[in-house]
Amino acid sequence: MRALLASFLLLGASLPARAQPAVTSAAPERVAVTVYRDLNRASARPNLQWLNGYALISETRRVELPAGESELHFEGVAGGILPQSAIVTGFPDGVVERNQDALLLSPGTLLDRSLGQRVSIRRTSKASGQVREEQAVIRSGNDGAVVLQTAAGIEALRCSGLSETPAYDRVPPGLSAKPTLSVRVRSAQPLSATVTLSYLANGFDWQADYVATLSPDEQRLKLTAWLTLANGDETGFANATTQAVAGKLNRRDAQPIRPEARPLSLQCWPADTTSDIPEEQLEPPYPPAPPPPPPPPAPMAERGGEDIVVTGTRVMAERERLGDLQLYRIPIPVTVAARSQKQVALLEQPRVRVTPVYRVRLDADANRDSGAAQLVLTSRNREREGLGLPLPAGGVLVFREGQDRPLLIGEGRIDDLAVGEDVEIRLAEAPGVGWRVELDGGAKGRHALTVTNDRAVPVRLEAELRGDGRITGGARLGRRNGASLWQVTVPANGAATLRYRYREPG
Amino acid sequence: MRRSVTFALAFCTAPLSAQTVPLPDASAQGDVAVTIYNNDQALVQDRRDLSLPSGRSRQEFPDVSARIRPETVTLTGNSLGIVEQNFDYDLLSPAALMQKAVGETITLVRVNPASGAETRERARVLAANGGVVLQIGDRIEVLRDDGLPVRVIFDHVPGGLRPRPTLSVTLEAPRGGRQPVTLTYLTPGLSWSADYVALFDERAGRMDVQGWITLANESGTTYRNASTVLVAGAVRTTSDRSGYYSSPPPPPDIRRAGTETAGRERLGDFYLYPLPERTTIAQKQQKQVSFLDVSGSPAVRVYEFRNGWLATSEQPQSVNSVLRFSTGRQQGLGDALPAGTVRVYQRDSRGSPQFVGESEIGHTPMGSDLGLAIGQAFDVKVQPTVEQRTRVESNGSRWRTAMRYRLTNASPQAVTIDLVQSGLWGDTRITAESQKSERRSADQAVWRVAVPANGEASVTATFDTRF
Repeated sequence: MRALLASFLLLGASLPARAQPAVTSAAPERVAVTVYRDLNRASARPNLQWLNGYALISETRRVELPAGESELHFEGVAGGILPQSAIVTGFPDGVVERNQDALLLSPGTLLDRSLGQRVSIRRTSKASGQVREEQAVIRSGNDGAVVLQTAAGIEALRCSGLSETPAYDRVPPGLSAKPTLSVRVRSAQPLSATVTLSYLANGFDWQADYVATLSPDEQRLKLTAWLTLANGDETGFANATTQAVAGKLNRRDAQPIRPEARPLSLQCWPADTTSDIPEEQLEPPYPPAPPPPPPPPAPMAERGGEDIVVTGTRVMAERERLGDLQLYRIPIPVTVAARSQKQVALLEQPRVRVTPVYRVRLDADANRDSGAAQLVLTSRNREREGLGLPLPAGGVLVFREGQDRPLLIGEGRIDDLAVGEDVEIRLAEAPGVGWRVELDGGAKGRHALTVTNDRAVPVRLEAELRGDGRITGGARLGRRNGASLWQVTVPANGAATLRYRYREPG
Repeated sequence: MRRSVTFALAFCTAPLSAQTVPLPDASAQGDVAVTIYNNDQALVQDRRDLSLPSGRSRQEFPDVSARIRPETVTLTGNSLGIVEQNFDYDLLSPAALMQKAVGETITLVRVNPASGAETRERARVLAANGGVVLQIGDRIEVLRDDGLPVRVIFDHVPGGLRPRPTLSVTLEAPRGGRQPVTLTYLTPGLSWSADYVALFDERAGRMDVQGWITLANESGTTYRNASTVLVAGAVRTTSDRSGYYSSPPPPPDIRRAGTETAGRERLGDFYLYPLPERTTIAQKQQKQVSFLDVSGSPAVRVYEFRNGWLATSEQPQSVNSVLRFSTGRQQGLGDALPAGTVRVYQRDSRGSPQFVGESEIGHTPMGSDLGLAIGQAFDVKVQPTVEQRTRVESNGSRWRTAMRYRLTNASPQAVTIDLVQSGLWGDTRITAESQKSERRSADQAVWRVAVPANGEASVTATFDTRF
């Protein structure tokens, strides 16, 4: 507030004809937060220390403005705000201009902005504790050097070995603790208005986390999913209407002007001596210069400070289509706290029909090769299979019901899946189901592919044979994704063999 | 009472009044006009009233850009002649102060650490190399050799030391007196771009567009009450040390370049965007001013998918969702658009606008057709497959490639997808196809495929190529 008052004084001083009262809007009345995923994260989980998704924040604020021109400061906006994305509506006469000031109040900027100003120099006698104050004018500022003009003459700050420090009368205008968005507005009469402020802010992310439990007969999945929201910003949003958007949006990399908060580091004239008597240490010494602030989004300070909230499963996100995207809305207002993670239920599908398939991929012209098959749970995103709803991309943890406790059998991932698409959850490689391809002797290009099964149940296996040439086999081969496909049921504790011939193209 | 005495003293002493450092609140700038280009380049014109003595004099110009390009400075005034121009960056610091004091006499105030008693003496600075060597009376001493506190007081600030880099010009004026002079220079650190907010109403096929000019000042100086003009275009400069000039890449979003002239101020090839009123551009400030507000302009969403040559994908790929509109006078935004970012919003079921993607545009003439890829559709996908690739025996070294494209649509509306197969260089022929394609260029063939709501379609094509 003092800074605002000061900026008012400044403008009043420099532009006397156009004095603009500064008005502050401290906090929003209502707020809505829509979180968007970081698409470059791929399969990694959101790193709470460094979130690269973003959010659209819409705030409703009540403001009282005087007649004429005034400058309205919005406080309590997200630190990762992208000022060029801000939309301000609700002023009957529109907005003259919007400003975002990135010069922050810091020891360095305080000194720099006080160039030519009067300050008090306070000297404390170490012998008696007596304090003396003297007026001085700062003649040079910043870049590690302060030259003062006092009644006695020209001096340099903190080169004397005395305990001395400048004290300022006020905060120089235009310096605030945080980057502040402000608008210049005009109104013919005093105005009491409800305005909305929307902006994009960096430092948010969300992710769908699926937990699936496979039935003992391996035919059904109980699928539940969490919507995990993360806010890495220092601003929290209480009772916010909260949404998450799934889909792939184009987004340009945009960074606002980096806030400038210079540390203060003072230098003196050359100070070599002939003695090794250490210079008397002053109390309190200036602390070492802090590192420059990180760019927004600011990483989280400490892991211990995270606040992970899991709400009850009775609250489930509601889905709607938004153009080409899917919008998930948390039906009740929730608090998206600063530097925290929050989870609500995204969906629950208790009976999803799946088929476990062991998959093998090989080059058809390989002379000798072997490996283990990959276990894939396949299904289709249809109501008949117990699904039939858009599935946003996310990790899938697959458990299997065991005798007395569930067992984790694999961790897969799905991409965004629309209704009707094939669902494939790729789990771990199964060392017990292996394959081997060898030359079969005889005519040129004859191969034998043998698959083995060490399980006590028969398993379905699909082998994709890739190659530009023609593949003809003893068994009937299908086609999938441009490759020849051999589908076979491998008997329990048994093996199966495909003999095929590969002819080079042309 | 005691304080007020010192205060009065501070204002009466001679050295203080000799200084002409302006208070930061009161700028030395005069009538400032700033012209900002897109390529981190700005032209600053500053008209100041100076009191000049007749004949030769040295004038200082504080409050110019801290990143001024001194070689671009020109100063014009009523029959003024320029003798020389200097850009001084010998900055006032304790070290510079001591070095300039070599040979001069300074005052030392020794403070007794036990009693706090002060003793004053005069000393001559002999050298300031590594440490400060002083002559006090007939003794030679090193400053603070004993580690005890000593205040060093200089009588005055030596000339030529300045708190900030300062431009100074030596002038030859035929007449003395107060007269206007105009200082013109180029500086980096001021930049601008456009930001567009497009609220798209898909059902009505309309959108509302607001355009904002965003300018940023990192030049190190505040420009007070400046008349500001923004130039859409990058004038060529040679300030780049590498001598490399990169023209902006052709904006791929313009589908058909327009040929209409916008009702904006122009200067040669460039459109000018003057800010409607004077404004203060503070250091480290980002400022936005509205310049465009159009509502109900027609816009449609189309879907496009481009497949590379011989690309097979194991999983269906989302198609690009493209917002198409015109900047023409008829059925369009009716303006030339300076380069910037278009952010697209759509209303959700509760009527709140939600962000649905953004795209960058280049400088776009009026009358252009734009197609902005704002994202990829969740529900509309294409899966391309190379089905078969065989060498055609009879025809020497030619290949036949059979492609299949499976197009799926899980949305409740029927859609049309522009399916592009690219990479068809050389004498590639399409020998068979399930529906007629359009050869958009030697490189690309396009099928316009209708996909029913909650349904799918497929396209097959056989290519005859040399590779």
